[in-house]
Amino acid sequence: MNTNQKIARVFLTSKLRQLLVAVLSVTFGISMYVFMNSFMAGVNNEQTEITFTSMPHIKIYNDLSSEVKPILPSPNDSNTVLMVNNARNIRYTEGIKNADVIKDKVLSLNDVIGVTTQLNQNVFIRNGVSKASANLSGIETLSENQLFNTAEYIIEGDLFELDKRSNGIILGIGLARTIGVGTGNNVAVSTSDGISKTFKVIGLIETGASAADKTRALISIQTARQLFSKNKSYATEVMVNIENYYKAQEVAATITPLTEYKVEAWQVGNSQLDSANALRDIIAIAVSLTILIVAGFGIYNIMNMTVNEKIKEIAILKAMGFNGKDVVEIFLTQSVVIGFMGGLTGLVLGNIIVRIVDNIPFEIATLTTLPVVFRTSDYVLAFGFGIIITFLAGYLPARKASKIDPVDILRG
Amino acid sequence: MKALSVNQVNKYFHEPVEFHVLKDVSFEVNKGEFVAIIGKSGSGKSTMLYLLSTMDTDYKGTISINGTQVTGLKQNQLARFRNEHIGFVFQFHFLLPEFSVLDNVMLPALKLKKKSKEEIEHQAMELITMLGIKGQEHKKASRISGGQQQRVAIARALINAPAIIMGDEPTGNLDSKNTKIVFDIFRQLAKERGQTIIAVTHDDEFAANCDRIIELSDGVLV
Repeated sequence: MNTNQKIARVFLTSKLRQLLVAVLSVTFGISMYVFMNSFMAGVNNEQTEITFTSMPHIKIYNDLSSEVKPILPSPNDSNTVLMVNNARNIRYTEGIKNADVIKDKVLSLNDVIGVTTQLNQNVFIRNGVSKASANLSGIETLSENQLFNTAEYIIEGDLFELDKRSNGIILGIGLARTIGVGTGNNVAVSTSDGISKTFKVIGLIETGASAADKTRALISIQTARQLFSKNKSYATEVMVNIENYYKAQEVAATITPLTEYKVEAWQVGNSQLDSANALRDIIAIAVSLTILIVAGFGIYNIMNMTVNEKIKEIAILKAMGFNGKDVVEIFLTQSVVIGFMGGLTGLVLGNIIVRIVDNIPFEIATLTTLPVVFRTSDYVLAFGFGIIITFLAGYLPARKASKIDPVDILRG
Repeated sequence: MKALSVNQVNKYFHEPVEFHVLKDVSFEVNKGEFVAIIGKSGSGKSTMLYLLSTMDTDYKGTISINGTQVTGLKQNQLARFRNEHIGFVFQFHFLLPEFSVLDNVMLPALKLKKKSKEEIEHQAMELITMLGIKGQEHKKASRISGGQQQRVAIARALINAPAIIMGDEPTGNLDSKNTKIVFDIFRQLAKERGQTIIAVTHDDEFAANCDRIIELSDGVLV
């Protein structure tokens, strides 16, 4: 410990209560930073996870081409007028004929963690006189479960039974109630082409999104292809999950050249979700930075008081040959020590608060406790900001102290 | 080489009104001389001392200490110069109250960093012994008597073996017994160690026993 640091230590420890208040203000600021960011990130994650129970990160499907090709070439002659009335954008193909090829290509990409194909059609489901329209999904049970954890939401029966029983169907809980069936009953499914087939209800699914639960019906994708008379590798959608869903747009851009079909990242159709996440992050950062800045003012105030109290000592030190830089060092050391002590205790306190919040019951939707995440980056940033702010808050009074004219003070 | 030479020094105060404090002051002090600066209050004697101390740099004319012209040096150079060549004793002891007696004495030497901590401590103990305050060294500076505090301040002034010791009414706050002790210490330093001592004083008896008296009256040497 050099001489300046030793002086700083004596100055700092001579007023223990002041030191405690200064340290506590930093502690509080930093713990709130950690808490706010952990909590907001938890809420964001939870939101996104709920969304991704039925939605993939990237969807590939057959979309109507957005550009309508002109039927006639535009005339070269300026005396000719081209008039086409009611030009239509006609769909020539439906669905994806060669889904397996696309699936293999996409699976070979680095960021991709799962790919599944679906065959979705609207159908009517009847049970005697009661009928309901439903959204029938032909799914690949294994990869579907890998992407959406579908098996977790099956409340009766077994998802993988679909592969074994070609006449098996799993209904959303709301749909089953509407038409008055339970596991083991038979239902008739009729397609828009007029084909009708009898299925046996082998399970019920409840995802918590009641709108989906009222229309959802699952069958195996092979059965669906048969029902709609499609070829072996046919699907209406190829769904892709990737490691970090915030990179969905980048990955979508690398998939686009691999296929002629439309590739859509989740953000495109769900900007409300994306913006809500961003807004929550902004609020968390704004609030926590404000708290840190308030803590900074606290330190500024205390350091200013210390400088005023020690003004005589500063004058003596300068008379003895300590220069301005030494004085800055003495007072800056004090605030940085306050920053470190407050920072470390703040991280610990923040962690404790986050752990407590993690255990607060919150039983709404699929949640059981308030959502939080533990991210090292929150702690590193909190500590970093804390140190920067205490440094700035300490520098101004330190500079003031270094400018004190010893003659003014010593002459009295 | 003179310990101190002051050449045509003029000093003005600008606040609250323009005031000519020192007028064409010139004098020299030899090494080992014990000089008293006297004068009525307002005569500029304290102002003169603070100019000599290098802390106040707002003046015209030149001041040289130990052959080094200090006029025109930068603040940091002056701080370093003070640290090494000048020791101060004030009317009020101006010790750092939260530090121990020993720390107070050692501080200027720790700043100078010319010797190891052990050597400095050893030297500080010698000075403390010489000034008769042994046994108090681990007490806080605020916990000893006024006479002892002034002796600690002298020990602190001596730790870097400065060429010049400056006193601003060094005995102004002491009773006659302690005044005598302090005076004898100064006397001894000048005689035995060849250190130059310049003290501003009101005390006629103190002044009378010095080698030389410099008297200021309304900013002019008498």
